[in-house]
Amino acid sequence: MKNQPFVRVSELHKDFKMGETLVKALNGVSIGIERGSFTVIMGPSGSGKSTLLYLIGGLDWPTAGTIHVDEQEIETLDENTLAVFRRNKVGFIFQSFNLIASMAAEENVSFPLRFSGINPAERKVRSQKLLDLVGLSDRMTHRPTELSGGQQQRVAVARALINDPPLILADEPTGNLDSFSGLAIMQLLSDLHKAGKTIIVVTHDPRMRQFATNMVFLLDGSIVSEADYKDATELLTQPFEKG
Amino acid sequence: MRFLDLVSLIFYNLSRRKGRVLLTAVGVVIGTSAVVVLVSLAVGLRENATKQLWGINDLTSIEVYPGYNVKSSGGGMMMGGGGEIEDIKYLTPNAIKEFEAIPGVKQVIVEDYFQGNLNVIHGKLHGYSSLMGISLDDLADMGLEANAGTTELVKGTAIVGSWINRNFYDPKARPDDPPLEPPDLMGQTLKFVVSKWSQDGIEIKKTYSIKIVGVLKESRGQADGSIFMRLEDVTAWNEWVRGTRINRNKEGYSNVIVKVESPEQVIDITDQINTLGYMAYTPQATVQGINSFFTILQVIFGGVGAIALLVAAIGIANTMAMAILERTREIGLMKAIGATNKDVMSIFLGEAAGIGFIGGLGGVIFGWGASAILNIVAVSYYASQASEGGGSPLSSVASTPFWLPAFALIFATVIGLISGLYPALRAATLVPVTALKYE
Repeated sequence: MKNQPFVRVSELHKDFKMGETLVKALNGVSIGIERGSFTVIMGPSGSGKSTLLYLIGGLDWPTAGTIHVDEQEIETLDENTLAVFRRNKVGFIFQSFNLIASMAAEENVSFPLRFSGINPAERKVRSQKLLDLVGLSDRMTHRPTELSGGQQQRVAVARALINDPPLILADEPTGNLDSFSGLAIMQLLSDLHKAGKTIIVVTHDPRMRQFATNMVFLLDGSIVSEADYKDATELLTQPFEKG
Repeated sequence: MRFLDLVSLIFYNLSRRKGRVLLTAVGVVIGTSAVVVLVSLAVGLRENATKQLWGINDLTSIEVYPGYNVKSSGGGMMMGGGGEIEDIKYLTPNAIKEFEAIPGVKQVIVEDYFQGNLNVIHGKLHGYSSLMGISLDDLADMGLEANAGTTELVKGTAIVGSWINRNFYDPKARPDDPPLEPPDLMGQTLKFVVSKWSQDGIEIKKTYSIKIVGVLKESRGQADGSIFMRLEDVTAWNEWVRGTRINRNKEGYSNVIVKVESPEQVIDITDQINTLGYMAYTPQATVQGINSFFTILQVIFGGVGAIALLVAAIGIANTMAMAILERTREIGLMKAIGATNKDVMSIFLGEAAGIGFIGGLGGVIFGWGASAILNIVAVSYYASQASEGGGSPLSSVASTPFWLPAFALIFATVIGLISGLYPALRAATLVPVTALKYE
């Protein structure tokens, strides 16, 4: 089928069992995300935005509904095929960077290539190129503990790009950064978008809106309009009055 | 994932937690070295025991004696033991023909012991020995070798075993005289004084001058303490002792040696001869018995070591389980960046096997070293004991067979691998998102 969105989510449900309680994290979410777009998903804590992101990235399985990425229906894939999907199609960026503390920046960036069977020489060339791209060519041999938060996140961005995936998924990429470093990461993601990557970012950071080509607002596991989202968040930020 | 990348990642991961890996590996070192030392000890004991055995140098011989069928108290027939003798199977010329007809039998050698008293006189020295008549022209056919002279038996001559010269003494020696130097008997003509007692209690003696034409090499067997002469010479002396002619067709020979073509056939032919009603014995049966005993001992010793390895295995499993808890987010990350379940499983299994391998390598080196030290200490101790109290010194107490280090190393690695199975399986089947969110 032609002209289908790059990411297509239909009637997605995700339930979690917390002891005896059933929590509905996603409640019939349907969205379409075009190839080359920059999508920002916003919502308060517990709204299901990270759950949606991980389901699109094939890190979890939905309770119901379908997910298509680049015409591939991923919720039906077995674990091995899903691993190959994640390796080739998706680059993940996490709030807490998830770098391996004992590895130098260059080794962290090239780490995914070990699972692709790429030889060490090629791994080195590719990781150096990407570290250069994110402005860390002088920090290749530094370990994460020797880098600032912003630098660590840039290493994580380089790692997400190492397999040249068409889709970049970022979960609160600026959540652990100061405002200046956060802005630098936003700029980096914007550059990647301009280079043709499809970007989906889950964030609380309102500054991210300026880079977005489309916005998705989530409340209690469902997509809502911006107006409803604003009303709800204003309500949430109002001081509690007794009586 | 390429195999070399997997191996390098495994050793990289192990090197990240050197202290814990080394502490866990110490358990494997102890277990593996226990296996190496104890099995080496069991093998060494077996080797020493078989070396000490009498007559094992000729494993193609079967000694056959007349068969005594004894009536048991219950009325049934049984071989050997006490009770009333019902039937005797004599080693007659016909019996010898029966043995020769068994496939695989090379030769049947007749032996006859001198049944009277024998005193051997060499100058002023007197000696004692068993005298054996043998139906062979050449003792080499029995696997015996000459240390001096010949192994060929000629009428009126004798060949002596290697220890015979130690059986000589000076009857007139005083207690404070220096110890006697064993005489060299080769080429000497000795007086063989044979004697018997008449019915009225008078000792009757006969003296023969016999030339010693050969001294045998030590065989660590019965031959070392025997004097060999031709069968007809000894038979003639026995007839003199008894005062009658011996009818071999009726009472047969005292024993015969059945020589077999190959050692593999010995047990089977021994069984066949026993089935015919004779008493057949082979040193191989003793060797087999000893081997079985030491194999059991080896298994028990190996088992004791294996228990230590089992404890180490639990240590590995614990270390790996802890590692997986600590590295849950890392596992989630690996899956997020494209590692398959098989990749994750291989990494953690490899790490567990790696701990087993490192510990096994240390254990093999340590165990081999401990065996060597044990040998040095024990051999020098036994050497001093042997010089004081006689007896042959040991060459070693622990013997490490060539296969043992390789086996121990592989065993330790496999133990590590097995210990890592459950933790690795847990790691491989973690849901990526759950692993990533693990605190």
